[in-house]
Amino acid sequence: MRTRLEVNGEVHEHEHEPRLLLVHFIRDLCGLSGTNIGCDTTSCGACTVLLDGESVKSCTILAAQVDGQSVTTIEGLGTVDDMHPMQQAFHEHHGLQCGYCTPGVVLASISLLAENPDPTEREIREGLEGNLCRCTGYHNIVKAVLAAASVPGAGEIPA
Amino acid sequence: MAIEIPNRLEDLPVEELRWVGRHVRRREDPSLLTGRTEFIDDVVLPGMLHCAILRSPFPHARITGIDATQAEAAPGVTAVVTGADAQLWCNPARTAPEGWGTLCLATDKVRYVGEPVAAVAASSRYLAEDALELIEVDYEPLDPVVDPFAAMDPESPLVIEDKGTNVMLQRVFTWGEVDRALAEAAQVFTESFRWNRLGANPTETFGAVCAWDPLTLDLTVHGSIQSPSSFGLGRAADLGIPSNKVNVKSHPHGGSFGGKGGARGATIACLLSRKADGKPVKWIEDRTEYLTAGGSQAWDRHYEASLAVDEDARVTALAVTLVDDLGATGEGFGAISAAKPLAAFTGPYTIPVARYDLTLVATNKVPASPYRGMGPPPHFFVLEQMMDIAARGLAIDPAEFRRRNFIPPDQFPYTIPSGNEYDSGSYEEVLDSALDLAGYEELRKLQAEARTEGRIVGVGVASAIEPGVFDWNAYAIVGMPQTGVPEGATVSVDITGMITVRVGFALEGQGQYTLVSQLVADYFAVEMDAVRVVQLDTQSAPPSFGPGGSRLGVAISGAVLGACRRLAEKLAAVAAGLLRAEPDEIELRDGRFRVKGRPGSEMGVAQLAGTMLARSDLLPPDIDPRPEATHVWTAPGRTAADEEGRAKSYLTAAQAVHVVMVEIDPDTGFVEIVKYALADDCGTRLNPVVVEGQTEGSVAQGIGAALFEEYVYDDRAQPLTTTFMDYLTPTVNDVPALDKAVVVTPSPFTPLGAKGCGEGAIHTTPAAVMCAVNDALAPLGVMAREVPASPHRVWELLRRSEGPS
Repeated sequence: MRTRLEVNGEVHEHEHEPRLLLVHFIRDLCGLSGTNIGCDTTSCGACTVLLDGESVKSCTILAAQVDGQSVTTIEGLGTVDDMHPMQQAFHEHHGLQCGYCTPGVVLASISLLAENPDPTEREIREGLEGNLCRCTGYHNIVKAVLAAASVPGAGEIPA
Repeated sequence: MAIEIPNRLEDLPVEELRWVGRHVRRREDPSLLTGRTEFIDDVVLPGMLHCAILRSPFPHARITGIDATQAEAAPGVTAVVTGADAQLWCNPARTAPEGWGTLCLATDKVRYVGEPVAAVAASSRYLAEDALELIEVDYEPLDPVVDPFAAMDPESPLVIEDKGTNVMLQRVFTWGEVDRALAEAAQVFTESFRWNRLGANPTETFGAVCAWDPLTLDLTVHGSIQSPSSFGLGRAADLGIPSNKVNVKSHPHGGSFGGKGGARGATIACLLSRKADGKPVKWIEDRTEYLTAGGSQAWDRHYEASLAVDEDARVTALAVTLVDDLGATGEGFGAISAAKPLAAFTGPYTIPVARYDLTLVATNKVPASPYRGMGPPPHFFVLEQMMDIAARGLAIDPAEFRRRNFIPPDQFPYTIPSGNEYDSGSYEEVLDSALDLAGYEELRKLQAEARTEGRIVGVGVASAIEPGVFDWNAYAIVGMPQTGVPEGATVSVDITGMITVRVGFALEGQGQYTLVSQLVADYFAVEMDAVRVVQLDTQSAPPSFGPGGSRLGVAISGAVLGACRRLAEKLAAVAAGLLRAEPDEIELRDGRFRVKGRPGSEMGVAQLAGTMLARSDLLPPDIDPRPEATHVWTAPGRTAADEEGRAKSYLTAAQAVHVVMVEIDPDTGFVEIVKYALADDCGTRLNPVVVEGQTEGSVAQGIGAALFEEYVYDDRAQPLTTTFMDYLTPTVNDVPALDKAVVVTPSPFTPLGAKGCGEGAIHTTPAAVMCAVNDALAPLGVMAREVPASPHRVWELLRRSEGPS
């Protein structure tokens, strides 16, 4: 079957087996390997991407289910030289260690700020409950999101 | 040749440090944050195949037949391997006590659920998994060995028949006159404890891409590998090829915490590659595989402990009996994990004599693996519960009881009964910092008030040692083959003065490349951006062990500072020749090589390197014209173990005190942490923000260990926790706010006085949380002897108690 997705503003259209997961469409067919897989059961959130602006876990969605929709992955945010405000906040607050859960956490955090631009610490914790991080103990992640909330653009997907 | 490594920050050749010891943002971050870092699953090689592994559904069964012919003919399949291939090409795992390793694929029988039985290489993982369905395996189920005590019965079924027993090792280590101390004690407290299996669970599982040329037998392994050189030795031994035929390239990995085993999977992928004419074969372990049978499960322990005290409330002896269920084989370094407590057996206390009665038992569970701390965290859980039991028995405040038994600062270096030497410490200062920070007296008042309201509230104070910078010397005593633990670095300068440092380990999360850059930038007084850190594969890199045993921060500092020193000596000799001075008249200061006492007569690093590279004819004779130097660092002064296992094993001993307040829900048994304060001393902090990050993450893992995490097996050895819906790691809402205080007692024995600190808080957190839980439960007449103290277990205890008084 054939699926057409807009990924980070670019159209990707590929033939694939019906059973192909969205995360594999992104990683293997679009060649965007920044989206990581951590658990296969929607528990850890490493594979979080934004689907039409809302965060979803791409390891339990079929690519075919989202035909015609728009996806933002970590590659659609900033670059090494020009990071997105959320990425910058994680850098400044040591909100990552191994960095494997990080793309998912960053995208989930952007989605969180998009819905609630001025969250309390409690609201941030509730919003990130679905993203597991084994390295940081989470405090610096929460600090980073709190700090990002006061930076213009931190809750926005770059055009 | 030994060279002098600066032991203090002020020994670095600059007036003012700009990087070392300061909060430095990590250089690793931008690439990780933008998804550009190449993890192992991102590696795509030409012609690469994908591996899927067929695993045993039985904990113990004889294999009476395997038919893989249909799988071989399935769409997209290039190669299939079974135990017959392993028998032909492989050796049993050597990373185990003699005879307790098995082949990477089961042959005559399976020994745990999830043991690999066959594997397929196909053009996609989807097709490889389809083909697994077509492999027919005939099993004849056998009685499983589930309980380690039953396993020791001579009538028990045997996990490995050739051994004639399920006991892998039984040893009693006695250090001093323990029986006499127990007999002469004013009081002896004895209790038993259970620490259930748990494990690392980094967010990324293990993965490897293996290519084994069938003609030359050259093997290349890419992988998310914690210790590339050691992993290479293991594959060479598995596959019966010379170690210099194996080249390992570790990729940045998504955490490890000791749980990046995966050795069998890598060896299987190698076999598939050989059968597929050398095509690269990628094996990515999925989470269910990891939880069911991966290199993660650690510390399945049954303890009994006795603590003797005299009339002055001084501890006079500690005796610990451990039965450690290592699962089906010894291949996962479980024996080391049981031996490591020798490095800190008596914790931070002046306990003069001790005994360790150690039995390692095989059962039909997954082979035990390392986990952060590698063995001492359960030991300290036991020791600290015993300290509290004794304090309660003596009616002494637990903080005061610990203070009375701490090793005093003037006794360092201090040799503990089990032979290791602690480098330095200031334990009372750490205790007081933690108590102040926590507001300990206020917590006790709040607790007293809560109790009058019938609430179940407890306060725990625990202290532990984090042995740092390991050496392999200690592990021969449990039958592990020896290996070296070197760390090397090569520092070179190019013609424009840019500096490159070559190392042999991959990024794992602890900010080591940032540390390397900090050290070099300060040594030669350049910007951090002028330093690039490059990771090489094992056939090119300087000797390297990599992270593990809280060693890499100290070890790579030794390697980098040693290489800088060697390079500086070389550049000084060149400067001497060019400036017409003697080499010993040249000094390096703030990046300039100056002739002492001759102002203005000086050269910079770039100028010297440029001269070496452009005009080697101008150099003094006998100078190697490469502006680079390598240093290989090993922990100094380590000793071989004596007949009682006593050795100087770990170079540093960091110490911490944690103060925790919990409240237990009487209806559900749920333990809520309402206050958490800690103070720790890991010597000089080379990048404090990274050290704090390690502490915070390790506290979270320690809370998981104390309250949630457990690999559960049923009474027929079937695993019940095979997804993250059943194995519970802490979420963002499970980790309480942390108050942290810092004490710095630099190590007299290490580069810049730093102590190993990566494993950190998990040594203390489970002990402290459980001390708090038991402090809460004490008035109810019950004790939590089992970790994790899950809601159900605590609720059971509450049900058995007399109820809140």
